[in-house]
Amino acid sequence: MSKNRFDDELKHALRREEPSADFTDRLLARVAQEKEGFCEPAEEGRERQNGRRDSRLSWLRQLGALFTLPQLKWATAGALATLLVVSAVGLYQHRQQQLELQRQAELSAQISEAEGQRAKEQVMFAMRIASAKLNVAQKKVRDTLQQDAGQSVGHQQN
Amino acid sequence: MQRAASLRHQDKAPAEPSPADGALTRAKQGDQTAFAELVREYQAMVYSLARNFVRDAAIAEDLAQEVFLHLFRNLAAIESPAHLKFWLRKVTSHRCIDFSRKQKAQGAKTSVSLDEAPEPVSIFDMPDSMMRSTIRRFVATLPEKPRLVVTLRYQEDLDPMEIAEILEMPLNTVKSHLRRSLAILKEKVTRSFGTEF
Repeated sequence: MSKNRFDDELKHALRREEPSADFTDRLLARVAQEKEGFCEPAEEGRERQNGRRDSRLSWLRQLGALFTLPQLKWATAGALATLLVVSAVGLYQHRQQQLELQRQAELSAQISEAEGQRAKEQVMFAMRIASAKLNVAQKKVRDTLQQDAGQSVGHQQN
Repeated sequence: MQRAASLRHQDKAPAEPSPADGALTRAKQGDQTAFAELVREYQAMVYSLARNFVRDAAIAEDLAQEVFLHLFRNLAAIESPAHLKFWLRKVTSHRCIDFSRKQKAQGAKTSVSLDEAPEPVSIFDMPDSMMRSTIRRFVATLPEKPRLVVTLRYQEDLDPMEIAEILEMPLNTVKSHLRRSLAILKEKVTRSFGTEF
């Protein structure tokens, strides 16, 4: 086989073929499905050049696609309702926990305050006792000093 | 590379108006019938590129559908029918390579080395259809890039410069892929047919 014949064989082997007969129809159905809730293709193409818009659009498209089939509508609604209930229960429980924690904190603050007050009273009581004893001791010392002074004056007179 | 840069706006066909001219303008304005015209005009090209790469009609159709859906979303960026043709070839080639890489990542064996390829029965007077089927099978065993180079060269009749631009690789690499692939294919086919080609 010459080079030309080999090239010809390759060309024949790799020649173009048509896809199945319903190829275009299937594609157009997909295009129509995509086009349904969204903007014109040219506008869409322009929007795609804007990164942020594009991502928002694709997010919306995905969300919108959930509602295209009727059976999915109910499934999605059910899922959303469940999500809502679970969120509400979670929120309620969280709130209850917060209140409980707050109550406990207040209680422990009250306990601390009462204990502080008791300790203060005990200290005051101890100080009063100490003060009384100190007064007694002071009086005794004063009396002793006065006696000593009286005796030394007597000796000098003698 | 100046020539390469201008390739996307040219085509081998003469400057006579193609049906794609008006269809492209109308499709960009949102006319779905015009888009269908574009699809019908280019579906054989896109599908065959994928088919010759993946060797599976169903997968090739899926890939081709994805390419046209991508086109629908990006119609605004298409400047002319020649650009459309370039764009479709480029996107299809990249989709094929992506597909092949995904397959590899999933552990599927999409191609085998030429030495691993099973030899067809050696007969002297093989019918044409069988010979072409054998050639297609050997092409499918080439690595990704050389396979695309050979497909673009022989299916689309593109020259190495155009292939280099579509596959975004240096011209010399394209020429080297082409030369080596042809040598390997020729040797394999010659061995299979039991006669000098």
